[in-house]
Amino acid sequence: MKENKKISRRKFLGLSAGAVAGLAFSPSIPTLFAASKKTYDYSILPAGKREYIASNCAMCVNKCGIIAEVVNGRLHKLNPNPEHIKSRGMLCAKGNAGAALPYSPDRLKTPLLRTGERGEGKWKEISWDEAFKYIAKNLADLKQKYENRSTVAFASTEGFQEEFYYYLVNSFGSLNTVRHTTLCLASNIQGWSSVFGVFPDADLLNAEYVIMLGADRAQSLITPDSVNFQRYKPEGQKLIVIDPRFTVTASKADRWYPIKPRTDQGFVLAMINVIIKEGLYNRQFVESYTHGFKDLEKMVQDYTPQWAEKKCEIPAAEIVKTAREFAAHAPRSVIYPGRRSSFYSHEVYVRRTFAILAAICGCWDTKGGVVPRSSIKLNTPEVSFPFFMQTRDRVDKESTDLLKDVVPSSVMCPMIGTGLPEDSCSFLSERDGSWLTFREAVLNDTPYPVKGFFCFKQNPMQSVPNTTKTIAMLKKMDFICVIDMQMSDTAWYADIVLPHTSYLEGWDPATGISGINPLVEFRQPVIKPLFDTKTMFEISGGIIREMLNIPSLWDDIEPDDLKNFKEDVVEGILNRPIQEYIKTQVSNYPGALEKLMNNGFFTVESKKPTYGATRTPGFRFKTKTGKIEILNERYKEFGLFPLPKYCEPKNFVQKSGTYRFLVGRTAWNTQTTTQNIPYLWEIEKENAVWINPGEAGKLGIVSGDYVWIKSRVGKQRIKALVTEKIRPDCVFYSNGWGRRSPWLSRVYKSGASEAEIIEDVLDSISGGTCLHETFVSITKA
Amino acid sequence: MKRKRYAIVFDTKKCLNCKACTVACKFENYVPVGDDSYRLWVTEMPLEGRFPVLRQEFRPSQCQHCENAPCEKVCPTGATFRTAEGVVLIDYDKCILCKACMAACPYDARFVSKKHDAVEKCTFCMHRVSEGREPACVETCPVRVREFGDLNDPDSTVSRLLNQRAYYQLKPEKNTRPRLFYLK
Repeated sequence: MKENKKISRRKFLGLSAGAVAGLAFSPSIPTLFAASKKTYDYSILPAGKREYIASNCAMCVNKCGIIAEVVNGRLHKLNPNPEHIKSRGMLCAKGNAGAALPYSPDRLKTPLLRTGERGEGKWKEISWDEAFKYIAKNLADLKQKYENRSTVAFASTEGFQEEFYYYLVNSFGSLNTVRHTTLCLASNIQGWSSVFGVFPDADLLNAEYVIMLGADRAQSLITPDSVNFQRYKPEGQKLIVIDPRFTVTASKADRWYPIKPRTDQGFVLAMINVIIKEGLYNRQFVESYTHGFKDLEKMVQDYTPQWAEKKCEIPAAEIVKTAREFAAHAPRSVIYPGRRSSFYSHEVYVRRTFAILAAICGCWDTKGGVVPRSSIKLNTPEVSFPFFMQTRDRVDKESTDLLKDVVPSSVMCPMIGTGLPEDSCSFLSERDGSWLTFREAVLNDTPYPVKGFFCFKQNPMQSVPNTTKTIAMLKKMDFICVIDMQMSDTAWYADIVLPHTSYLEGWDPATGISGINPLVEFRQPVIKPLFDTKTMFEISGGIIREMLNIPSLWDDIEPDDLKNFKEDVVEGILNRPIQEYIKTQVSNYPGALEKLMNNGFFTVESKKPTYGATRTPGFRFKTKTGKIEILNERYKEFGLFPLPKYCEPKNFVQKSGTYRFLVGRTAWNTQTTTQNIPYLWEIEKENAVWINPGEAGKLGIVSGDYVWIKSRVGKQRIKALVTEKIRPDCVFYSNGWGRRSPWLSRVYKSGASEAEIIEDVLDSISGGTCLHETFVSITKA
Repeated sequence: MKRKRYAIVFDTKKCLNCKACTVACKFENYVPVGDDSYRLWVTEMPLEGRFPVLRQEFRPSQCQHCENAPCEKVCPTGATFRTAEGVVLIDYDKCILCKACMAACPYDARFVSKKHDAVEKCTFCMHRVSEGREPACVETCPVRVREFGDLNDPDSTVSRLLNQRAYYQLKPEKNTRPRLFYLK
C-alpha cells in the first residue's frame, strides 16, 4: 500500500515538472508551496482547537509543573511550565512520557475480579457497583471474623490522592498503614531530625562547597536540586562526590572519591576530627545553639584521617583537604541530605554524622547551607472519623522477638556494641510503619493475624526486598484489593483490581509542597477520561457508601459518631464535587484558585526564603533540650548511641568471589512504575549489572554476556556491563526490572529484579530497609 | 529587518544524559517509538582514564543544519531545501526515498520515517519557532544544555555565548559549516 503511494508520487513528480506553478494553488497539495521556501507551512499539528492547560506531573515524587498541549481533545504533548518555581521550567524524560500514559493499551480500564487462582491471571470485568459491594462485604466479613479492624492493612505511596485513601482507612478504622517511607528516606529524616529537630533542604543556589555522599542527582532526579546543581550552579561552586560508583553526578564533580561501601560515616567522622583538632569549627555557633560538643570532641579523637583511610580506602590527605575546604567555605558549605538513604543498618547514625558536621561548622539556616523547609498552610477541612472499639495497635509497633530475623546482628554478623535495638523500632512513624517489621509480623501472625490487604499505587512485590517473603505475606491474606493504573506485580496477585484515573484525566486536591521555596499545587483534567476509571476520591466515596449499607460495620461506635461521620465526611465531602473541596482548601488566599487554574500552582509572598529564623536567641529546636543535639538525649534514654560512634560489623571479612550489591536509579524510570511505557522502554529495554573489569576478567565475563546473580534469598539472570565505573568489591543494577506481571507486556521477565535478591535487613532505629547489605555471587549464565 | 540565522549552542558539560530531550522530541514531532529512530540523541562519550581517575562527557546531537549541506546537494528532487533562515528541511511529498541524503550526511542525522513515508530529521521545531516558542529539546532540558537563537542578533544568547566562550563544531574537515556549536 505504502509502496504504491510512493511509486504513484514519483510518477506524479516526473510528469508534472512543468505544471508546478499551476498546481500550487490547489489546497490539497499544500507542501508544493515549499518550492517558494518563504511560504512553507511549518505546522505539524492537526487543524482544529488547540488548548494549553496547566497542571502538575505525577510520574515521580517531584510534582513538576506541566502545560498540557491538547489538540481537538487529544493530548499532543506535555510541556514544562516555565514559571514553576520547583521544576524551574524543565520536564524530564518520564514527565514527557506521561503524555502516553492515558493512551497505553496496557492500562487498567475497568474493575477486575479474579476468577482463577491468585497469580493465574484469570479475570472477570465487573462494574464499579459490583466492585464496591464486593469490597464492602469483604471488609464486613473480616471485621466480623477477627473482631479487630486492624486485621485489614492499607499500603500506599505518596501522591495527592493518598489523602482520600486515608478517608477509606479511617472509615474502616485500621491502624495498620504502611507507606513507602521506610523503603526510601526514613533513616535520613530520623538522622537529621535527631540533630536539628527537622529534615532540611540544601541551599545549592548559594552554596560555595557541596559534598554529595551516595546521591546521584544527575540521574535520580529531584527538583529543584537536579536543576540547580548544574543549571544554576554559582560561579566557582565546588562539588565533591563520594560514591562507590562513578555516577553521572560524579562525572560533574571536581573530585570523586570511590569510597568503600558502608564506610561513609568514617569519612565524615574523620572530617569532624580534623575540623575540631585544627579549630576550624564555628565556635560561636556551637556555643549558642548546640548541645554535647565537648562529648563529640572526645569521641572523635580516635577517628583520625589515617584511621579513616583504612576504613574508606580514600587517602588520609584527601580527607584532610576536604575537611579544611568544607570548613573554609562554611557557612556556605553543604553536606547534602538528599533523599533516599535506605542503604545500611546503621544509616541513622550516618545521617546524624552528616548533620553534626553541618552543625559544628554553623552551616545551618543560612545562605548556602542546609535550611529548614517552610510550607504554606491550607484550609483543608479537618474531619473526624468515628472512634472504633474493635481496633488494635499497629502490628509492627509492639515490642516482640520477631525482629531477630531481620536485624543485622543475626542476619549479617554481630556488630560491635551495635547501638541498634533488637526488639522494636525506636522511632516508628505511626502512619508510615516499617515495611520489613510489618511483613515479619504478618508472616508470624504476631501479635494478631492480618488477613486483609489494600494497596494503593504501591508495588511491594517489586519494592520490598525478598520477594519470596512478600508472596508468603500475600498468601496469608483472605482478601487483597489493589488500586492502580496498570497491572502491577502486586495487582497480579490480587482478588480485585480497581483502575485508577490517570493524573491527566482527573482533579487532585490542593497540596502544599514544602521547601526553601514552598508552593501549593493541584491537578485538573487536561483531557476527558478515556476509560471507566475512578480517582481515589471517588473510590473511597463508593466503598464507604456501600459500607454504610452494612450495619455490622458500625456496631462498635457511638451512634452520634456515625451521625456526625455521615454528615461531615460523607455528605460534607465525599458526596460533593471535589472542586468544592479544593475551593475550601485554598480559601485563605485570595486569587489562589485562579492561579491554580491558570498556572497549576501558587506561592505566598511571605514565604520567600528569609534564612535565620531559627538562629535567634531563645529559639527552641524540636529536640529534648531545645538545642541542636550533637548529643541526643532521647537516644540516650532509648539505649542508642547518643553520639554517632562508628558502626561496623564485628570481624567482618567480605568473602572472595562475593560482591556487595548496590541498587539505584536512572533518569528515565521511576521505581517500578514506568518501565513499560514505550517511550522510556526504548531508552533501556532491560537493565544490566555493572562489574569492574578486573573482576569480570576473573569470572570470564565480557559486556553483553548474561550472568546469574545470586544472594541468600534469590537469584536473577541479567546482562553484564563491564565498566571501570564501579569498585571491584561491589556490583550494581538499576531498579524496577524482572517483572512478574505479564500485563506489563514490554518488560515482563526482562532484566533482573532487585527485590528478588536483596535480603531483608532492617535499620531498627527508623524502621527503614537496608538495600545495600546484601552480598551476591556471579556466574556466567 | 535583518534576516534571521538560527543556530543551537550546546553546553555539553552540563548534560545529565537524562534523555528528556529525546523523549520530548518524539512527542513533539510524532517520531515513531520503538524502532530506534531518533531526530536527536545523546551520545555517551568514551570513558577516559582508569579507575579511580575517570572522566566522561555526554554529547547531545541532531541535524547540524549545515550552511553547506551535503544532503541538499545530493537530493535529486529538491525535497531537501534550506529556508531563508538557513534551516534545512525536507518536503516529505517530494522525497522519493532514494536515501542519497542519508548516505551524504556526515552526522547520521537522517532516517526513514514510516509516518511520513519519507526521510526525516530535526527541523529545529520550526512549527514552534514560527509561533515564537522554543524547540522542544531546548525547552524541556533540566539543565539547559541547548540555547537556540539568531546569530544575526548580537544580543541573542547564542551570539553572546559564541563571543564569550571557545567552541568547536563537529567534523569541520567536511566543510559543512554547521549551525550547531559546542562550547568547550
